[in-house]
Amino acid sequence: MKRRQFLKGVLYGTGGTMVALGGFGTFTKLAPQAVAAAKEEAKTVFSTCEMCTSRCTVAVKVKNDKVVKVEGNPHDGATAGTICARGNAGPSLLYDPQRIKKPMIRTGDRGSGKFKEVSWDEAYAHIADKVKTIQKDYGAETIAFASRVNPQDQFFRLIARAIGSPNTFSHEATCPMSRTTALEGTFGNPYIGADYGNAKYIITMGRNFFEGIHVPMVKGVMKAVANGAKLVVLDPRFSVTAAKGEWIPIKGATDLAFVMALANVMIKENLYDKEFLDQYTEGFDQWVEAVKDTTPEWAEKETGIPKDKIVEIARGFAAARPNALIEYGWRTPWTPNDYQLRRAIMIVNMMIGNWEVPGGYYQKKGAGVLAAFPDQSGYAKPTGGGFGPQPAAPKPAKGRIDGAGVKGTPGQLIPPVDGAVGQITESILTGKPYPVKGWFVHRFNPVISMPESDRLIEALKKLDLLVVCDVYMTDAAYFADVVLPECTYLERYEPIIDQSGLVPKLQLRQPAVPLVYADTKPGWQIYKELGEKIGIGDFFSFKDMEEFLTRQLQPAGLTLDQLKEKGFWSPAGMKPFFMRGNDPKAPAPPTNAPNGKIAIFSHEIEEAVKGEGIPKYKQYPQPEEGKFRFVQGKVAVHTNAGTHNVPVLNELMPQNSLWINTQSAAKLGVKDGDDIIISSGQYEHKGKAKVTEGIRPDTVFAYHGFGRISPELKRAYNKGINDNKLIKNEIGESGNVVTSTTFVTVRKA
Amino acid sequence: MAKQYVMVIQASKCIGCQACTVACKFQNEVPEGQYRTKSPAVGPTGTYPNVKLYFEKEACQMCKNAPCVAVCPTKASYHNEDGVVLVDSNKCVGCKYCMTACPYDARFINEETGAADKCSFCYEHRVSQGEKPACVSTCVGGALSFGDLNDPNSDVKKLLDKYKAEVRKPEFGTHPNVYYIYEGVK
Repeated sequence: MKRRQFLKGVLYGTGGTMVALGGFGTFTKLAPQAVAAAKEEAKTVFSTCEMCTSRCTVAVKVKNDKVVKVEGNPHDGATAGTICARGNAGPSLLYDPQRIKKPMIRTGDRGSGKFKEVSWDEAYAHIADKVKTIQKDYGAETIAFASRVNPQDQFFRLIARAIGSPNTFSHEATCPMSRTTALEGTFGNPYIGADYGNAKYIITMGRNFFEGIHVPMVKGVMKAVANGAKLVVLDPRFSVTAAKGEWIPIKGATDLAFVMALANVMIKENLYDKEFLDQYTEGFDQWVEAVKDTTPEWAEKETGIPKDKIVEIARGFAAARPNALIEYGWRTPWTPNDYQLRRAIMIVNMMIGNWEVPGGYYQKKGAGVLAAFPDQSGYAKPTGGGFGPQPAAPKPAKGRIDGAGVKGTPGQLIPPVDGAVGQITESILTGKPYPVKGWFVHRFNPVISMPESDRLIEALKKLDLLVVCDVYMTDAAYFADVVLPECTYLERYEPIIDQSGLVPKLQLRQPAVPLVYADTKPGWQIYKELGEKIGIGDFFSFKDMEEFLTRQLQPAGLTLDQLKEKGFWSPAGMKPFFMRGNDPKAPAPPTNAPNGKIAIFSHEIEEAVKGEGIPKYKQYPQPEEGKFRFVQGKVAVHTNAGTHNVPVLNELMPQNSLWINTQSAAKLGVKDGDDIIISSGQYEHKGKAKVTEGIRPDTVFAYHGFGRISPELKRAYNKGINDNKLIKNEIGESGNVVTSTTFVTVRKA
Repeated sequence: MAKQYVMVIQASKCIGCQACTVACKFQNEVPEGQYRTKSPAVGPTGTYPNVKLYFEKEACQMCKNAPCVAVCPTKASYHNEDGVVLVDSNKCVGCKYCMTACPYDARFINEETGAADKCSFCYEHRVSQGEKPACVSTCVGGALSFGDLNDPNSDVKKLLDKYKAEVRKPEFGTHPNVYYIYEGVK
């Protein structure tokens, strides 16, 4: 019999431990359990996952300095000790031999894939030199910074602040940013949560809870459904979420018509909470006016949903009030004015008074929010900053390239903390409003995550400096001048992660094992050391992360050891706090709400764009015969542009295909599994067809994040369809990208 | 009293997220490309827009009357004291009789050990230590339950008392200890 084969041993790390590390590069060849078993009992390190950005708590099982398994944190009621497939796959990323292991400097043309390995010192020196040259020749503001939102942003963005660049961006414009705009415009802040578990009626428009997995939210929705809640799912595609509820295949880009028709019915039939609106909101009269003609009959023509069905949903939703909700969305850049859809959704929610009650929406309860409530304020004190004293930062010489946050202009709709990241491409290529010459990218993959990949690559090629920090040679890193290898989340500390919901919750991300690849570093250290090299080291006024975390925790009366105990902290004995939980007339002001009221008419949005203070419907074109609306979404086993090369997850789903309706495919002579060409007119992409009854005949769909461009992602390279190759780089009204107005044709390859 | 370990799968709560699939791979060091359990989709079936879809967790059905045990020439496949079907890889000669005999296609030859392999209910490393199997512990949708059917207070007993449950291929007379509940599947 063939016995278990340990492959060639590879020595890594500083411990000199022999670990079986195989040529096939999957975790199984590492056999970490077998290697470690004889020597040490498993210990558990409680930390925070980073296989996506939802930041679930995890229990990392470690034997002999090897991670053998990642599990949910059994102390955390929010996940009930469970974790998704991606979370479970953590060790597969940690021990992947395809991770980048050394800093690299490009030696060939951009896109040639030619790099040399260098020391950290050389990499820092090279970057510092280029930064100084760009500062001198063009000004610091021509260097842009973009990251996928993460707790280490405060180090990454500090480089920008200290050199005097206002151009910091997150990935959010490609995801939930129009929701942020809507929540800020309505509630004065975006920290609004939903209590799914206690809802009796949930309407979700496109939000696909069961494939775009956020574990506590899956738990919540599943609890509601198991308790008999009605789940209505509007989506042009039959998602897993749709399979668990009533699927309504709405015509794409018409969602706002549906929401306005709900309001129309609820007003006509007096199915709303007038007392709530009087006490807590302002501007309802303008909404009544705005929806007076958006009848179910009208909405049927727009959305394709029968008018009786719209009336039925409006009545069912209102009958469950206030323990009902229309989901505000997660990936929300469908149309140019998507933020008005999110606004309208929240207004109809407020019409049933589902604010600060079980099964409704609530202000997230960090210590700062609790301070205003005498019977709650004793539970938690706010955390502090981790930095020591910092020098004054230079004032940027120019405003942001996207005009974000400038009052009295459309840019006011763009949250400056996120920015219109698509503008970076445009400013590089057009030089407007001024050119971008340098770009720092941290744990973000613009080539796959931002629209119009080819145009983006064209832009990358024009840069004087592109620095990418990541764990893989991503599609963006492949075009970089300098590639900086970060260690994984299982090997580093990060600042305190505030995940407060109905109670305060502080989480820790901490190393479970020493560095697997000795020349990788945590992001905080990379930017601290780079800052020192650039001559802005004074800004990074902390010694190490233990000191940083201790400073953060001290004002809250907590210690790092306390956080390490279970990996998170919530006040003992505190029950979920709804401001209106006991008394429906109790004060319940959203944080920073203008006049303390929920803004149904938003003066802030009106100030930005006259006439937009109340949502109004914009009709977008529908695909003519022979064309299809192209929509995209998440799958449970992958994260955006992040996990497709992780061995175990790649094995589960190495590529995607294009969903096309059976009737539509028959007209084109396309059969299931056929090779096809998808064309947007300007761009074409090869792919495979998935012929299915589970999609509208006028729509095609692909899971996001496939069709990778970097050959160094050896498993994911060139597998499947990169949706963003086909989508135009359009900047929406609130700075969002626009994902769902692209039409394509399909033909047999 | 002897235990009767059973797994109960509520299809209405399974979201097909494959957390169980991956947890199992790490718990049991299952080689690349091989699986002790997987939860593929059934569907979409029907005609647009009246379609449905659910997921089926596939793994060893832990038969009380197990054909794999009956045909094993070396007694490598056996029932343990708690009725769990296990494989002793030291005794297995890789003859594949069990793979042919299994009506559920639940077995494979582990590429690294050369022995027949399959779901063990995580008996050795978890269940005998008082924990649930890895798949059950990580089930995000809450579809999986595990316990001793002889214990009247167990989740599995309560579920099987409350809902109509099915076993796979009852016509084979294998009497599986894995039950499927389809109530609530749309």
